Amino acid sequence: MTGSRQISAAIRSRREPLLLLGPGVAVLALAFFLPVFQMLVLSVQVTGTDGQISFGWEHFAKFFVDDYYLGVSIRTFRLAGLITLICFLIGFPLAYVMSRVGPRLRMLLILLVVLPLMTSVVIRTFGWLVILGNGGLLSDLLEVIGLTDRATKLMHTESGIVIAMVQVLVPFMTLTILGVLQRIGSELEQAARTMGAGFWQAIIGITLPLSLPGIVSGCLIVFALSISSFITPTLVGGVRLPVLAGSIYSSVTGSFDWNFAAAQSVLLLLATLVVIVPYAMLMRRRDTKAVR
Amino acid sequence: MLTRRNFTAALAAGAALIATPVLAQDTLIINSFGGSYEKTHRDLVITPFEKEYGVTVKVVTAYSADTLAQLRAQKENPQFDVVHFSGGLETVAASEGLLAPIKPEELSNYGQMYPFAVADIGKGVGPMYKVAAIGLLYNTEQVSPAPTSWMDLTNPAYAKNVLLTDAAANTYGMLGMLMMNKVSGGTLDDVQPGLDFVGKLLDGGATVVSKSPEIQQNFAQGSAWIAPYAQDYAFTLTKAGLPVKFVQPKEGAAFAPITVNLVAGRDNRDLALKFIDFSIRAEASKGWAEALRYSPTNKEAKLPDDVASQVVYGEEAAKNLVGFDPIKIGDERAKWNEAWKRLVAR
Repeated sequence: MTGSRQISAAIRSRREPLLLLGPGVAVLALAFFLPVFQMLVLSVQVTGTDGQISFGWEHFAKFFVDDYYLGVSIRTFRLAGLITLICFLIGFPLAYVMSRVGPRLRMLLILLVVLPLMTSVVIRTFGWLVILGNGGLLSDLLEVIGLTDRATKLMHTESGIVIAMVQVLVPFMTLTILGVLQRIGSELEQAARTMGAGFWQAIIGITLPLSLPGIVSGCLIVFALSISSFITPTLVGGVRLPVLAGSIYSSVTGSFDWNFAAAQSVLLLLATLVVIVPYAMLMRRRDTKAVR
Repeated sequence: MLTRRNFTAALAAGAALIATPVLAQDTLIINSFGGSYEKTHRDLVITPFEKEYGVTVKVVTAYSADTLAQLRAQKENPQFDVVHFSGGLETVAASEGLLAPIKPEELSNYGQMYPFAVADIGKGVGPMYKVAAIGLLYNTEQVSPAPTSWMDLTNPAYAKNVLLTDAAANTYGMLGMLMMNKVSGGTLDDVQPGLDFVGKLLDGGATVVSKSPEIQQNFAQGSAWIAPYAQDYAFTLTKAGLPVKFVQPKEGAAFAPITVNLVAGRDNRDLALKFIDFSIRAEASKGWAEALRYSPTNKEAKLPDDVASQVVYGEEAAKNLVGFDPIKIGDERAKWNEAWKRLVAR
């Protein structure tokens, strides 16, 4: 009794929580807020011909008046949308099955889904390079089936990027939806079935709407990871299909234009925030409503 | 046997060691590029130099861009005595005053060098201890007869098997683009003819990659038959068992300088100069050609026939090496990169 009272007293005092927060806050400040702040500053810094530094929107203007960069962003968002959709179409059924099977099989399935995450994304992408490449497994297979005449190239195509990215991102979708599905349980669905609903009707009418929060956050995670991903689109898509993250990289390493790279990064950050902030606000309203 | 005399000598040496723990005059700090390159570098230059002069050479593994960044940061108090650069950054470093000029009479091997390799030592750009030649790599089983000209890239028979390297991300790729520009009538002030040339190759079905391992992959998978790239990389592919050869086209091959430079503001000038002189001697030039197929810049380097046929060798061939003004490249590169990106993006 006295022990627990002491602990709660300790938590109530202000110093200890601060101490506990300290390391995390320090890391965040140094490794996140400081660089992001620097990036914001860089993006509006303009160096004049006389070397004088002033502030302005020049780098952002360059991005918007230029067909090339608009094309790059359109490709980035179009691919991200497609990747998110396919991840959902694969991830939801998978998560549904995982939530309804016995605990042992579920554990095995979770392991299978998580296992690729234990490997570096670079390694997984190199695997895709072998499979998608000329004379690779997939192009040979398509040829054997007779779908394509000559060795089809999937390397350096948008289809190739989508295939490889979906494999990389499906675990995020599946696990997020699984978390929600497990909390719903199967009782409501069973109730619907006893009331005469068919299998598909029960899923579409009961399970899908109830798991909407999980689906939305899964989609957001996949979308955000997808628009900012760099390694897979660069390696599979190649030079001729630039995406935003790759364009930022080439601005820094090819043209040494840090300011323009920062401006592109700020726009990418804004795009991510535009997607995530409304969702977070919506969820908070929902939660407070639920508590009431 | 420990005789009295060498015992005394040992004692004296020991006393000297205690008195002056590190004699700056006995230690050189340099950079090298790591991996098997650095191993070759040690075998050919660093270790023999240490033996010859009884000094210690401390090697820091750092690529050109890193080295330049470090030199800039250490401007007030430089930590390197000698730095090696590839890809043209020595010109940038020299123009920023980070490198010290060298006089011809300070290098005993000066007279043996091809003039282009020591042209700018008075401006702080160190001598080229070898160059990488950029010509055509081709698959000997698919491309027959062997290509002789940059124009062979436009042969419709290989249209879908031409492999280009991203000029915006890769120095060798950029030099290849400049050569294609040159043979199509362009200049460093106007690269449009080169871009048009590349545009036609792309329309014909050429592939563009950005990193050298992708070149190997494309040759290995059979999708690449002919590619503008570096001679030393052709050797890498040959060693990997691929039927690939390098050819110096009749219009010439571009060269990428690889330089050894004297850092400004160090108190070790004499020893550093000895190291630079040692790096450009004929024996080292020959060693680089034998080990990694870089082309010699020392006229006296005598190569065995099999190696000689795989590098740009001899005065006649060396005359056919095309150099591009590094300062002009520095000024124009950002503009070229933008134009190139627009050209290759679908």
